[in-house]
Amino acid sequence: MPQAMRSLFPFLCTAVLLVLTLSACQSDEPANDLVIYSGRSEVLVDSLVEMYRQQTGDAVDVEVRYGSDAQLLAALAEEGDQSPADVFWANTVGALGQATAAGLLSPLPEDLLDRPSRFTPEGGQWLPVTTRFRVLAYNPEAVDGDALPASVTDLPALEQFTGRIGWTPTYSSFQDFITALRLTEGEEATRTWLDGMLALNPNGYASNTPMVQALAAGEIDLALTNHYYVLRLKHGDANVDAASDVAPEAAVETHYFAPGDVGNLALVTGAGVLQTSERSEAAQDFLQFLLSEEAQAFAANTLNEYPLIERAETPAYLMPIDEAQQLSPDFNLERLSELDATLQLLRDADIL
Amino acid sequence: MPDVELQEHVDASRGPQPAEPPPGSAGRSWRLREKLREWYLWGPALFVAVGVLIPMVYLVLRAAEAEPAYLAALVVRSRTLELLWNTVALTAGVLAVATAIAFPLAWLTARTDLRGKRLVTLLGVLPLAVPGYVMAYVLLATTGANGTLAQVAGLGVPRLNGFTGALLALSLYTFPYLFLNLRTALLDLDPALEESARALGYSRLQVLRHVVLPQLRPGFLAGGLLVGLHVLGDFGVVSLMRFDTFSYALYVQYTASYDRIYAACLALMLLALTAAVLFLEARLLRGLSLHRTGSGASRLTPPVRLGAWRSVGYLFAGTVTLAAVGLPLLTVGYWMQEAASIPWAALGEALRGSVSASAPAALLACGLALPLAYLSVRRSSPTTHALERIAYFGYATPPLAFALALVFFTLRTVPPLYQTLTLLIIAYALHFLAEAIGPIRTALYQAPPRLEEAARSLGRSPLQAFVAATLPLLRKGLLVSIALVFLSAMKELPITFLLSPLGFDALALKVWSYANEALFAGAAPFALALMVFSAAFVGLLLLREDR
Repeated sequence: MPQAMRSLFPFLCTAVLLVLTLSACQSDEPANDLVIYSGRSEVLVDSLVEMYRQQTGDAVDVEVRYGSDAQLLAALAEEGDQSPADVFWANTVGALGQATAAGLLSPLPEDLLDRPSRFTPEGGQWLPVTTRFRVLAYNPEAVDGDALPASVTDLPALEQFTGRIGWTPTYSSFQDFITALRLTEGEEATRTWLDGMLALNPNGYASNTPMVQALAAGEIDLALTNHYYVLRLKHGDANVDAASDVAPEAAVETHYFAPGDVGNLALVTGAGVLQTSERSEAAQDFLQFLLSEEAQAFAANTLNEYPLIERAETPAYLMPIDEAQQLSPDFNLERLSELDATLQLLRDADIL
Repeated sequence: MPDVELQEHVDASRGPQPAEPPPGSAGRSWRLREKLREWYLWGPALFVAVGVLIPMVYLVLRAAEAEPAYLAALVVRSRTLELLWNTVALTAGVLAVATAIAFPLAWLTARTDLRGKRLVTLLGVLPLAVPGYVMAYVLLATTGANGTLAQVAGLGVPRLNGFTGALLALSLYTFPYLFLNLRTALLDLDPALEESARALGYSRLQVLRHVVLPQLRPGFLAGGLLVGLHVLGDFGVVSLMRFDTFSYALYVQYTASYDRIYAACLALMLLALTAAVLFLEARLLRGLSLHRTGSGASRLTPPVRLGAWRSVGYLFAGTVTLAAVGLPLLTVGYWMQEAASIPWAALGEALRGSVSASAPAALLACGLALPLAYLSVRRSSPTTHALERIAYFGYATPPLAFALALVFFTLRTVPPLYQTLTLLIIAYALHFLAEAIGPIRTALYQAPPRLEEAARSLGRSPLQAFVAATLPLLRKGLLVSIALVFLSAMKELPITFLLSPLGFDALALKVWSYANEALFAGAAPFALALMVFSAAFVGLLLLREDR
């Protein structure tokens, strides 16, 4: 008998595996799921999604797949017609432009698009949700904010700050800024700008948070960063809410260049409804929610991002929304996906 | 002197073969029937072959979409050569550094009277629990004018990046692959052979060169292969360290240009490089058989007395541990200080998710690796070797491409399987299978086939004979296999991102999610949980080993 048992063993194993497989298959999603593919990271937007879940109650089951913009785009392309996703929520306009170009997004109805925002794309296939800005952060104890230049292109002239400037060459937002510089000022001017900056012997940082901390500590005087890294240090953040972490008196201030200067590049986040969605109404409802006063105020208060509707309540330390909207240069943000030439430029200059 | 086959005698295929089947179609069906009878060997092998070939077919499909002229312009340029050179240099460099760390450590823990060997062994395996991107973040945060070393100790070390950064980060967490394989091989060495060599007048050094090192070759190759292939396919470290290798170019292509087609071409070039490495390894392994052929069982090797050298041994083990385990733990602990509170609920959920996928994947991989390794060692033929090699291709396929291929094929063949835990487990098992094969193969080389033959002659079926005679000898190898796959699956990112069920949470995903937003304080508890839990699991497995 034990012999028979032994020869049965592999069969048993196979059977168990088969049963497991089948049971896993059967946990099929119910039809009323709303599936969101989010390139925005979980730590930032999870509470927002939770807020939406509370609102809709049992009517809709909201599921989110998190990833990077690029990963999700690639996945969407491979899934093709069978994609379970309804909404693509992205961190960058480049990714949304790519999704539009690949025909992944369906046009949005007028009532979603009629909100005045200078970032709304012409084709109307995705919706700008919030925006962040590139800024120049400075230490007010060492730098007179009023004396800082009106354009980022004049930065290389500040010889007095040799060795006192910080930047993050590997960070995607920095590279987006270089792309914008390349597309607005031209390749040659960008090269000159990079060489001029290198002559100032800047400090390269791997990420923004340590750079802004170094700024506050007086190790450097100027830093090219995103606006929310300054706000996060001074006013905290939804997810890093330690009292010790918030330092309103930190010696860090934000310098905006003149309105329309490429140094104030807007890093818009946005969302669109996918062609393959069978629940496009629910998907549109979610987009509507992202633009609701409640959600926009949440983004402003806990993520330190600028809302795109003017009624949203914002903390006092953010500049007025209509003013903020005029900061960014005038060029097609979808072109930020043209990153290849930028990387080449940075490599040629020995920065990457 | 006991008879031990050590010479790299004839090519295995020229060795004694089973009776030739009659030629022609009758012969073919005879062979097929033979294979069907051993379905428990060939079934899993076929499954692996199909599973691993799918991503390669996918890459070929994608690459074929490219415009020939565009493709030619992209491929035939000096940059490709530069990428090739960088990739080869990094792989060779990591192999060298990892060997320099792993070999002394393996010898210390296997062959000497060092105290606390079990602890040192555990510490030598733990770096595997550190995800590559965490190691890279840690090195970046530690060095440089603004790094923690400068802040805490006032040490102005230049910032690690580029080649040196990638080399160090990769070596520091991949050396355990070599360490484990070498250690297993050293433990299983038959002392009689060395004693005979000594008795015949060889010096210690000569024994090492002519007797010990040759016997370590399968272990070294198995570990070295994993390290090499890992370096070839790694995205995380090279992208953070910005070192321009094939996989970094691939990463930039996917993330910056959203270009799957050129990325697929790059991936294929990478796989061609893998093929070259595999070919090399196969050449070096040819015709090896290291088991005892004499009667009786081998004794345990008496440990080498270190004497005054013991402190050097401790110093070495301590330095390695400090760099590979201490540094990540300290840095993450430093981040942890700034964390407001520990999110226990989220931590628990993520841990459960990680384990629920990684543990079954480790078992499945081990279950698939056993028949593959067995076929390759005991039914040595071009077919079985090819089958075993295929598993290594799965390992070298960049995980993002691997995951995309499975997305593509699952939805077109078995849509209900898409985004289920089952698919995730299968994907992990197939991708990490190569890690499971090495230790089992090494153990199989050292398990004498005679035992099985004896069991057969006593009337057991082949399967029964294997279970009764050989399986117990493979236990060590099996445990190491499980541990390796488990650790890798725990920290895997791209596959988890793309193939996990909706709403699935895992520690690695959480760590990445926070670290990517530069919220290191938030990432710290998850990174710590990932490392500590993996360490505990491996500790348990390895403790069983010595019983």
